[in-house]
Amino acid sequence: MATTAAPAPAYAAAHAAGEQTGLWSWLATVDHKRIGTLYLWTALGFLFVGGIEAFIMRLQLMQPNGQVVSAELYNQLFTMHGTTMIFLVVMPLSAAFFNYLIPLQIGARDVAFPRLNAFSYWVYLFGGLFMTIPIFFNAAPDGGWFGYAPLTTLQFSAGLHIDFWVLGLQILGVSSLAAAFNFITTIINMRAPGMTLMRMPIFTWMSFVVQFLLVLAFPAITIALFFLQFDRFFGTQFYEIAAGADPLLWQHLFWVFGHPEVYILILPAFGLASEILPTFSQKPLFGYNVMVYSGIMIGFLGFGVWAHHMFAVGMGATADTIFSMATMLIGIPTGVKIFNWIATMWGGNLRFTVAMKFAIALVALFTIGGISGVMHSSPPTDLQQTDTYFIVAHFHYVLFGGSIMGIMGGIYHYYPKITGRYMSEKLGNWHFWLFFIGMNMTFFPMHFSGMLGMPRRIYTYDVGQGWETFNLWSTIGVFFQAAGLLIFAWNFLKSRKSGERAPNDAWGAGTLEWSIPSPPPEYNFAQLPVVTSRYPLWDLKHPERTADIAHSAPDQMTITDSHAVPMHEETERKSAKDLGIPMPFPTIKPLFAALFMVIMVGGLVFIHAATLQVALAVMISAAALFIGTVYGWLTSPLE
Amino acid sequence: MNRLPTRRLGSALALAAVALALAACSTQHYPNTTFTANTDVNVDVNALWNRILFMGTLVFIFVEALLIYVVIRFRARPGAPVPKQIHGSHVLEIVWTAIPVLILIPIAIPTVKTIFKTQAPAVADALQVEVYGHQWWWEFRYPQLGVVTANELYLPAGKTVNFTLQTRDVLHSFWTPGLSGKRDLITNKVNHLWYTPDAKLTEAAFNGFCTEYCGASHANMRFRVYTVSPENFDSWAAHQKTEAMGSPALLAAQAAADSAARRAPARAAVIPTPAPAPAMAAGYVFPADKMGAHTIPKTPIPASITYDDNLLAQGDAARGRALITNPANMAKASCLTCHVIKGEQAYVNDDVARGPNLTHVASRHTFGGGLFPLDAAHLARWVKNAQIMKPGATMNTFGVGQYSPMMKANVTVGLTDAEIADVVAYLLTLK
Repeated sequence: MATTAAPAPAYAAAHAAGEQTGLWSWLATVDHKRIGTLYLWTALGFLFVGGIEAFIMRLQLMQPNGQVVSAELYNQLFTMHGTTMIFLVVMPLSAAFFNYLIPLQIGARDVAFPRLNAFSYWVYLFGGLFMTIPIFFNAAPDGGWFGYAPLTTLQFSAGLHIDFWVLGLQILGVSSLAAAFNFITTIINMRAPGMTLMRMPIFTWMSFVVQFLLVLAFPAITIALFFLQFDRFFGTQFYEIAAGADPLLWQHLFWVFGHPEVYILILPAFGLASEILPTFSQKPLFGYNVMVYSGIMIGFLGFGVWAHHMFAVGMGATADTIFSMATMLIGIPTGVKIFNWIATMWGGNLRFTVAMKFAIALVALFTIGGISGVMHSSPPTDLQQTDTYFIVAHFHYVLFGGSIMGIMGGIYHYYPKITGRYMSEKLGNWHFWLFFIGMNMTFFPMHFSGMLGMPRRIYTYDVGQGWETFNLWSTIGVFFQAAGLLIFAWNFLKSRKSGERAPNDAWGAGTLEWSIPSPPPEYNFAQLPVVTSRYPLWDLKHPERTADIAHSAPDQMTITDSHAVPMHEETERKSAKDLGIPMPFPTIKPLFAALFMVIMVGGLVFIHAATLQVALAVMISAAALFIGTVYGWLTSPLE
Repeated sequence: MNRLPTRRLGSALALAAVALALAACSTQHYPNTTFTANTDVNVDVNALWNRILFMGTLVFIFVEALLIYVVIRFRARPGAPVPKQIHGSHVLEIVWTAIPVLILIPIAIPTVKTIFKTQAPAVADALQVEVYGHQWWWEFRYPQLGVVTANELYLPAGKTVNFTLQTRDVLHSFWTPGLSGKRDLITNKVNHLWYTPDAKLTEAAFNGFCTEYCGASHANMRFRVYTVSPENFDSWAAHQKTEAMGSPALLAAQAAADSAARRAPARAAVIPTPAPAPAMAAGYVFPADKMGAHTIPKTPIPASITYDDNLLAQGDAARGRALITNPANMAKASCLTCHVIKGEQAYVNDDVARGPNLTHVASRHTFGGGLFPLDAAHLARWVKNAQIMKPGATMNTFGVGQYSPMMKANVTVGLTDAEIADVVAYLLTLK
C-alpha cells in the first residue's frame, strides 16, 4: 500500500536528529505532518481508483450503444466515481493540507488532539476500503452518490450494494467530524503569539471556515443515513413508500448537507490558490480582509441554497424563487474572490512555476463553472439543464477546474516543504498542460451534449441523437488527463529521491511554514515565533513588501509563551529531546480503534449477507475490542 | 514561458465554442436540442436563456481576457523592479462587489417573472394527460378520452396539455427536450407540468427521456412524443379507446351495434341514435416515414438471444391469442397477469398492471421503454427473454430453456420458438 512508503531521503537529516523511520513509525504516528502525508498518499491512491472508474465510463460512452460494461456495472462505476472523488479524494486531499499546514501556518507544534487526528486518518482509510473493495465483487454501491430514496430502500435495492454505501458514508462522517473538531480547537487555541485571527494565512482561514461547514453540514447527512440504515436493517419506514413515506425528506436532508459540501470541497483549494498567487506574484494577497469575509459569506450562504438541486421536484413557484435568488447571491462573494486574485497578480512580477499555472488555471476554469452555475440558478432554464450533461460539465469545472487544479497547485507548491526536494518542473509542465487541455476537451463539450438533450447517468444512448461528436471528444480528453495523471505519479514518486534539494523557503513565500527546515523537524518550531503581521517571513526578508500594513512590534506585545522569540528563520535541526520539547508518544491504538470501529459498524452487512447471529457476533466482538482499545488509549499518557 | 500557448489555446477554445454554439442551432444535426420554439413555455425559457447566455458570455470574455492580459503584461522579466506592494483598495472592492450585482439583477427579474408564468395553473380547457412512471417504461392516460397507452404520447398541436405526473415505484423525471423543461415524478406526490405545442407542429416526432436515475435501465426509459393535427388526434384517440381487435368484448359490441342499427329506424323517434359502431379500420397512427431517424430505435439485440426469424412467417394469430387469453395456458404464457388487453380476460386492471397496456400495441412504433422498434423480429426476442434484452427488466423470460437473470434459473415451463411466433403474430394484430 502506498501509504506505507518510505519517507524521502532528506529525512536522513532527520535520522541524525533521532526521528523514527520504518513501517511502525507510520502506523503508530501521531505527528500531524506524517498523518498529513498519509492522507496525501492514500487520497492520491483513491484518485487513481476514481480516475479508472471515470476512464471506463468514458470508454463505454465513447460511441453510441457501447458494449464495454453492463448497465449494472456502469451504475456502480458512476456511483463510486462520484462517491470516491468527493469523499475519498478531494476531501482527504484537503485534509492532507489541513493536517500538514495548519499547525505550521499558525506556528504550533501539533494539532490539539494528535491521537484523535491519527484516528481520523485510519477511519478514513478503512472506511474508504470498505466502500471501494465491493466493486471487485460486482457488489459496489449503485444508487448514485446522492442515493435518492426510495431507490435505495430494500424494496428496490435488496442486495448489499446500498448497505456498503450507507455504512461507508457513516464511517467517513466520523472521520470528517473528528478532524473538524480537532482543527477548530487547534486554530482557536494554538496560534503562535501575535497571530491574531486576521493575521492567519488565508489557507488556514479557508480551512477554518470549512471545519465549521463540516461540523454543521455532516449531521444532516448523518441523520438522513441513519433513517436509511434503520429502514434497511431494522424495519423502520422513513423512506418506505408503501407506508406513505415522502421521498423528498431524503432529498432535503441530503442537499442540506450536499450543498455546503460543495464549499467544503472548493474552499481549501481557494485557500491554496490564495497562498500560491501572492508568492509567485511577489505581492501580498489583494484584499485579505475581503477574501476572508467572502469565504465566510460563501460558507454561510451555502446553507441557504440547498433546494436549487431540487427545482424539478415541484416545490412551487415561491420556494423556487427564494432558492433561486439565494443561489444568485453566492455569485457575488465568488466574483469578488476572482477579482481579488486577478488584482493580486496585477502589477506583480509573475513567475510561472507549475504551482502558479495550476492556481491561475483555477481562476480561469472556476470562472466558467461559476458562470454555468448562474445559468442554472434560474429555475426555468435549469429545468432544461438539470440532470443533463450540462450539469456534469458545470460541476466538473467547479470540482476539477477548481478543487483539483487548486490542490494540484498545492501539491507542487508544498512538496518541497514536505519532502525537502522540488518536484520536476519539466514533468510538472507536461502534467499541467495535459490536465488543462484534457480537462477542457472532456468537459467543455458536455455543455453542448447536455443542452442538446443528453441525460446524465445513462450507461448507453442510441445512434443519431446528435451526441456522438461531443462524447467522442469527451473520451479523447480523458486520455490526455490519464497521461497527465501518470506523469504526475512518476514525478511525485521519483522527485522524492532525485528532486533538486529545497531550502527552508522554497519559493520566497511569506508565511511561517517557510521559516523552518524542509522537511520540518517533528516539533516544527524549535522556538515558537512571535508574529507581528500577515507575512512574518517577508517582514524578515522583504520588509519593503509588508511595510504599509499594520504591524505590532514584538516589544509591545505581552509574550506569555517562554519559547516565543521574535521572527527568525530556523536553520539548525536538533532533536526534540535535545531541545527539551515534549512530543506525544507514538501509539498504535488509534489505528486499532479505527479498525474495530469500522468492523463494528460494517458488521451490520452480515444481517443481509449471512444471518443475524453472525452479524451480532461480529459487531459485539468488534465493539468490545473497540471499547477496550479506546479505554487503553484514554488511560495512556499523551506525552 | 508558456504564455503564448495560453493565449492561443484560449482563442482556439473560444472559436470552437462559437462554432459549436452556431452548429447547435440545427435541429437536423441535433434532433434533441433544447433550443426550440416548439412550445409557448420553451419560447419563454429560451428568451431567458438567451439573456443569461449573453450576460455569461460578457463575464467570460471580460474575466478571461483580463486574466490573459495580466498573465502576459506582468510576467517576470529579467531585472524587473520589486513590484509595488498593494494590499487592497476599498473602492475596488466595492466596485467589484457591485459588478456581479448589476449582472445578476437583469437575470433575476425575468427569472422570477418566468417562474410564476410557467408555474401558474394550466388553462381550464387543457387536454389532461396522466403520466405514470414505471421501472422502466412510461404509461400515458387521457382521462377525458378513456385512453390508456404506453411509451408513445400523442398531443394535438396548438392545444395546451396539462400533465399530471406520478410514479408507481421510484423517482423518475419526465423530459422532452424539444418541447419543454422537465418535471420529476415523486412517489406519493402528484406533480404538474403544462405547455402548448405550436399549432404548426402537425406531424412532428420528439424523443423523451427519463432524467432521474431510477435503477438498472434508467438509460432505457425513453418515450416518443408525436404532435399531430387536432383531427388526427381525435381519430387516434377514438380508436385507442376501443376494445382490442378480435376480443370477445369488441365482437359483442359490434354485434350489438349492428342489431341496434337494424332496429334503429323503428325507435328513432324516441331513442337517440346510439354511437356508431367502433370502426374496424384502425384510427390515425403517426406515419412511420415522418418519424425521423432519431426517433427510430437502433438498439442492438444482445448476441446471446438466438431466434430463427423464418418461424415468424408461420406464426398464427389465432393460436397466439389462445396462448395468451386461454386460462389453460396460464402456466407458460402468464401475460395477462401483468398486461391489460381491453376486452379480453382480465386478471389485473390498469392501476395495478406491471406492464404496458397492450390493447393497441401494434399501433405503436416502439416498445420496451422506447428501446426497440416494434416489429416481429424484436417482439419475438423480447417475449423469449426480455431480461436479456433490457437490463433489470422484470418481465418474465418466456422462452423455454432460456436463462432468466431475475430467477437465476432456466425456464422449464415456457414457450417454444414456434409458439412465440404465434404470440407475436397475435400481438401484431392489436392495431
